[in-house]
Amino acid sequence: MSIVAQEVDAPRVADSRRRLRVLGKRFLRRPMAVAGLVVVLGFVVVAIFAPLLAPYPVGYTDFNAILVHSSSKHLLGTDDLGHDELSRLIFGARASMQVGVLATLLAMVVAVPIGMLAGYYRGWVDHVIARLTDVLLAFPFLILAVGLAAILGPSLLNVTLALGIGSIPGFIRIARGETLALREADYVPAAVLNGANDATIIFRHILPNMTNTLIVQATLTIPGAILGEAILSFLGLGVQPPNTSWGTMLSSAEPFLTQAQRLSVYPGLAIILAVLAFNVLGDGLRDVLDPRTTR
Amino acid sequence: MSAEPLLEVSDLSVRFDTDEGPLQAVDRVSFALARSEVLGIVGESGCGKSVTCMSLVRLLPETARVSGSVRFGGADLLALGPRRLRRVRGREISYIFQEPMSSLNPVFTVGDQIGEVVRRHLGLSRRDARRRAVELLQLVHIPAPQRRVDEYPHQLSGGMRQRVMIAMALACDPKVLIADEPTTALDVTIQAGILDLMREVREKLGTAIVLVTHNLGVVADIADRVIVMYAGRKVEEAAAGELFAAPQHPYTVGLMGAIPRPGERRERLEEIPGRVPVSSKPLERCVFADRCRYADETTRTQVPDLRPVRPGHLVACFHPEAERAA
Repeated sequence: MSIVAQEVDAPRVADSRRRLRVLGKRFLRRPMAVAGLVVVLGFVVVAIFAPLLAPYPVGYTDFNAILVHSSSKHLLGTDDLGHDELSRLIFGARASMQVGVLATLLAMVVAVPIGMLAGYYRGWVDHVIARLTDVLLAFPFLILAVGLAAILGPSLLNVTLALGIGSIPGFIRIARGETLALREADYVPAAVLNGANDATIIFRHILPNMTNTLIVQATLTIPGAILGEAILSFLGLGVQPPNTSWGTMLSSAEPFLTQAQRLSVYPGLAIILAVLAFNVLGDGLRDVLDPRTTR
Repeated sequence: MSAEPLLEVSDLSVRFDTDEGPLQAVDRVSFALARSEVLGIVGESGCGKSVTCMSLVRLLPETARVSGSVRFGGADLLALGPRRLRRVRGREISYIFQEPMSSLNPVFTVGDQIGEVVRRHLGLSRRDARRRAVELLQLVHIPAPQRRVDEYPHQLSGGMRQRVMIAMALACDPKVLIADEPTTALDVTIQAGILDLMREVREKLGTAIVLVTHNLGVVADIADRVIVMYAGRKVEEAAAGELFAAPQHPYTVGLMGAIPRPGERRERLEEIPGRVPVSSKPLERCVFADRCRYADETTRTQVPDLRPVRPGHLVACFHPEAERAA
């Protein structure tokens, strides 16, 4: 045992920076995850700087170029109304990222405290919350989102709300489970005996210990929301023209499936790429943040 | 011992309602703790020593039914409201656990965790709390406290973590420090260091210490007075020197027979036959009767009361050593 040696040990390269470096190294050893991160960052940059990157503004129609193929003027061609495809894709990225991130944040903000309350207090609080969650989970995510979007009315904000609410039960379950496990840790009674109240214990002692799990769950919820947005928009429950998203692009491309396949292919590829990138990134993060990982 | 005890426990009983019926974990235990006294509570696993301590600060699960009283600072801790209880915990009475490895929150620096306590109880600013944390780390002899204060628990060894726990427990200058097997999880060499530290704390700060352990050596080392518990009862209480010089209860005698002593050649260590009984209801006989070599009719039909065999030396036995010799 090296305990004796450590008692009097020499200066050590300290602290969190070292831990971050270790995590970074582990992350870099996973090429898929790195690729996922690069693609995700790419989409985020495109989303943020969409107005600067897009060759044409939102709703710009070129009546001299309807359903044209790729050219120097319209890199990816135009659709039936003369909208530049590339510009629509770029603004679509903005809508998708926005919905994905905001819906996930919304779900987290609402679900995590509820789940933690259930897990911490147990008893009837837990019973009520757990049963309600089960009821919500019994609805398939999409059905729930479609229903909510139909009630709320079509708009980007309402899609975000619908998908956010649809993601709540999953987060509740995770927060509850983690809290149930973490409240048994020895540092909880230690904090109690130092005079901490319940709020301090829940938010200061338990919450930070589950951030890893929450981060992973978030990176896996975002692609779900992106996909959900595309589906809702495709069904006409989401973003309305002239605003654009990948889902609305697919929707408007559908009548031309036989004449101009590219109109469906571009947004379809964008969706696949974004969803895949987030999923791969989430998987990678889960491996890296798991303390049992040694590689 | 001063006339007014700091902490006075009377008739403390703890019962757990389990699926297999009630379980009497602590049975009418009374004791007092004087200012800056070190009180040792010894006994084997399951004798109720930890439960006794946890009930002092009300850390037991809700299935526990606690009766009796714990007088501290003019109030009964067992009847205190949650708000006042929180003000006592960590500020007036601190607790150290057996497991220093997991009693620290892994995601905060030790400075943060010590600081949290003083900020809560003493209302110090962030900066003052940090200064106090460094001071406390120094007090518990952690080398390079300025640097250690920003380290995370996983960067510290077991002994150092226990020192951090002690620093945290001492953060608000508590009157009582309850240490539940503080050295059990540690290396022997580290144990001695921690005990030295506790002795020093008592001398420097005047903190009274309740030390729970199954290790008689530890008790002999630093306790002023010792309580021996068996099956949820206090079976003997005496000043440490007196207890080791003239143990009265056959159980205590048995415990001492089971300690190896250097320089003494013996074929084998003596053991106490049998196991600690698990009792569901208060027994109508001596709890130790089944394992006692002096057991007789009286032992099996009556409960021995605690009685003094010598001044300040209480024992719950019909046949204490002193009377057998005579």
